[in-house]
Amino acid sequence: MSSLPTRIPGPQPAGSDAHVDDAAWDRRLRIRSPSARWIGWRLRALVLAALVGCVAMFALLRVVTAWPALDATLSLGTNGTLQVSGPTAPPIDASGLVDREGRAHHIDALLLQRSARWLAGDADRIDLARQHDVLGAALAAGPVRLTDGRGVMREIAVRPRGAAGLGWTFWLLASLALLLYLVTMVVVLTRPEPRNVLYALMAFAQIGNLMFVAVLSTPTPGWPPGLMHWEQILRTLFDLATAAALVHVTNMHPRRLPQGDLRALSGWLLALGLTALLGAGRLGHGWWWTQGLAIGGAVLTIVQLSWIRREPPHPLAHQLARLCGAMIVTLVLLTAMIAALDVRLHAQAAFIGSTVWLIALVAMLLMLPFLSRTQQLMREFSLLAGVSTVATALDLLFVAIFSLGNFASMTLALFIALALYAGARQWLVSQFVSQQRLTTERLFERVYRMAREVQLHPGDVLEQWTALLRDLFDPLDAQPVARVVRQSRVVSEGASLVVPIPPLGSTPVAQDAIVLGFADRGRRLFIEDDARLADRVVDLVTRAVAFDQAVERARSEERVRIAQDLHDDIGARLLTLMYKAPTPEMEDYVRHTLKDLKTLTRGLAAPTHPLSHAVAEWKSDIGQRLAAADCELRWSFTYDRDFELTVVQWSALTRVLRELVSNSLAHARASRVEIDASLQRGALDLTVADNGVGRRPEAWAHGLGLGGVRKRVKQLGGSVVWAENGEHGIVCRVAVPEFVRVGDS
Amino acid sequence: MAVKVLILEDNPVARAFLSRVVRESFSDVITITEAGDLEAARNLIALAGGSSGMHGADPFKLILVDLELPDGNGMDLLAELTHYPATKIVTTLYSDDDHLFPALQRGADGYLLKEDRFEVLVEELQKIVRGQPPLSPAIARRLLTHFRTGADAEPAAADAGLSSSAFTSSKPVPLVDKPLDHERLTPRESEVLTYLSKGFTIKEIANLMGIKWFTVNDHIKSIYKKLNVSSRAEAAVLASKQGLV
Repeated sequence: MSSLPTRIPGPQPAGSDAHVDDAAWDRRLRIRSPSARWIGWRLRALVLAALVGCVAMFALLRVVTAWPALDATLSLGTNGTLQVSGPTAPPIDASGLVDREGRAHHIDALLLQRSARWLAGDADRIDLARQHDVLGAALAAGPVRLTDGRGVMREIAVRPRGAAGLGWTFWLLASLALLLYLVTMVVVLTRPEPRNVLYALMAFAQIGNLMFVAVLSTPTPGWPPGLMHWEQILRTLFDLATAAALVHVTNMHPRRLPQGDLRALSGWLLALGLTALLGAGRLGHGWWWTQGLAIGGAVLTIVQLSWIRREPPHPLAHQLARLCGAMIVTLVLLTAMIAALDVRLHAQAAFIGSTVWLIALVAMLLMLPFLSRTQQLMREFSLLAGVSTVATALDLLFVAIFSLGNFASMTLALFIALALYAGARQWLVSQFVSQQRLTTERLFERVYRMAREVQLHPGDVLEQWTALLRDLFDPLDAQPVARVVRQSRVVSEGASLVVPIPPLGSTPVAQDAIVLGFADRGRRLFIEDDARLADRVVDLVTRAVAFDQAVERARSEERVRIAQDLHDDIGARLLTLMYKAPTPEMEDYVRHTLKDLKTLTRGLAAPTHPLSHAVAEWKSDIGQRLAAADCELRWSFTYDRDFELTVVQWSALTRVLRELVSNSLAHARASRVEIDASLQRGALDLTVADNGVGRRPEAWAHGLGLGGVRKRVKQLGGSVVWAENGEHGIVCRVAVPEFVRVGDS
Repeated sequence: MAVKVLILEDNPVARAFLSRVVRESFSDVITITEAGDLEAARNLIALAGGSSGMHGADPFKLILVDLELPDGNGMDLLAELTHYPATKIVTTLYSDDDHLFPALQRGADGYLLKEDRFEVLVEELQKIVRGQPPLSPAIARRLLTHFRTGADAEPAAADAGLSSSAFTSSKPVPLVDKPLDHERLTPRESEVLTYLSKGFTIKEIANLMGIKWFTVNDHIKSIYKKLNVSSRAEAAVLASKQGLV
């Protein structure tokens, strides 16, 4: 029980931008704290309410079973007469009922319609009430004498109905009423708020309807006099009250609307006034007024919901409007059908039609509190309810218009309804479920990409999570919140989804969860399946990242090991070789090799180098080398922002600089070297100029050194040229237009 | 009396080379003792008066220590010799701060990179003995972090170093970090370190700060001393905690 949701999300302050307001989210989250809701008076009150409901039901049962009923069943005779079949005697086409004083009262097939509420004509309604009253009075007096108008008279026994005489329809409708009652009590007790009270009002009205239909649906006739009169008035009141409550509640939920109170008040006044007029018998065409007002109320509800939807779209409003629309269509169809029907020929059909519609309405009411939980179930259920209503309505229409037989029309209607169902189902389902849901393949690709991105940019894990969840659910907004949740949860009646964000590897996340608002840009409610999907995706990403990190760690350990071996073994040997070098040139060559080896191993061991650190080291190293050779250095390295150089960038630049400086020292014997570099908007320009003896670079033989420089620069995607530097020396220009590629840093 | 020098280096060729460097660097009469591993070095030091250099014996005045040795890490010896009254110099192939910084913390007065030219090494050695130790930008950065952030941030930095760029044949021994309050840097010293970390030479720093180059050098010396003192004080605190003193 504790997982039962409240019917409707938290109250929204008028005009507030709740979906971008962190505090509002927080408030929404807090109200869903699972514990303590049922502690104390609520549980006791619920038990008490259930007890009261059962006692009331039991009392009603006692009364209904004790009523005297005709020991016969009524059906439609061959010529549209009322056929009464007793258990022993042969059936009689009854057209009159003789009371104790010997007066004959006319009765006919209209008795088969058990609801005055669903009779279109004023005269028919009065006649039905009269026939029921006559029958009721006769039953109370003892055995009933029926006459067929041609002199045949038959006496039919009267006895209390008993539990067996209630019929399965009674039990079905009574249990439906009890269920709706319990759900309503849970909703009201969970959060006693005006909107939930209005929901309860609607539910109780329909429970009243259900009970009337249940009592009047018993197969053996027999009800107290006056019941039909009250049935008409009370059921009219119930239906109009439901419509008024619907208008009222959509004024304040999901968003409060301007001048809502005015509309709600006029709705209630109209409903009560019409019922009063009808009860007093002062209103002609009462049924049409009732139907018109009910349909008008439903249409106004849709208008209000669309108003809500305009900004910002609320998925609940969308769903409610859709349900409301379906109900209006069936109600209009039913109204047309009942109006077209010859009541005396098809009285039973009219009763069944209205009952089916009532059941569909009750089913909708029952589903409302669970919109975000059981969308699947609700979808199928509402589809079936809609289809059966349409089938019944069609059936009755065929009967009325084409005068088909009952069986033929029923078969035809069923076929058409099933065809409609088969055709519309796909479309309806796709309306409920998002069309842009990621395919499995795309989802895997997305998760994999996310894992890579986390490796590359561990800084913006939160953005990546948000992007992934946006791709998944296409919500109107996604807000990080600092709130610890163990698993994904649907909150605010499916308006939002809270997804916990686990830390990925060593990357801490400042926020613990992301709240998604309004799935599919507000066209859909979040359901429990979405929460489970989010959980699985989060789990998948976490594991993918952990796996990637393990692989990366292993790779880095391997690189470090290789670097260490290279450095220790080859380094030591090269050092020995250098000390034993026969000539200074050879010594320099080996020293150079050793330095390259060190650069290589350092690059292997450290994945990235901050540009600022690298620049400082280059300047310091080159400065020391030049100082040792009594050569002046002019150094300038400007950059618009600091970033992490990759190993490739770092080692390429390190070696290019070293090579160029070596050339200036060793070959050109320069006394001054100018290094001027700038890294602006991702483009690198590097000039190394000396005042040495080198001239005519185009005539140089490309040895190992210059070849190396070319190779490195090419590796970076740039170009290098050598030219004479004015009067003396050489200038080397390196240009890498896309040193930092867009998107990496 | 001859100046006693100890060269601890496992590679005989390098040992001979370093001996030449030492002889070239000083005009005094020099007695060079060579050791190929830690054990030999410890024995020699014990003969010469033990690790504190007391007992009136004739201690070494200059000790060159290689970091990567067959029977251990030169860092260990440095740690044992914190109170030994000699100029201790690390000779190594490892020029990264992850290896050098711990050595400086353990009382090394400077470092020489073995692949440098003979003349460069001679010059560097003379500078260290004169009290002009080298400071690479990386080490300057490390010093800045060490003195600025104290105990809180340094372990993180050390971790980062370990995982990223320390390839550890000579495993950087766990660092003893945490400057005491009286060992904070002066603003001038911080400024010098900042410039050094950006790759400026001492001459450039002197120009930028409007002071003489030897003043800059004094600052560097002072920074070295503070690093030593702070780690020695730390070691003493540790030792007293463990009941060793």
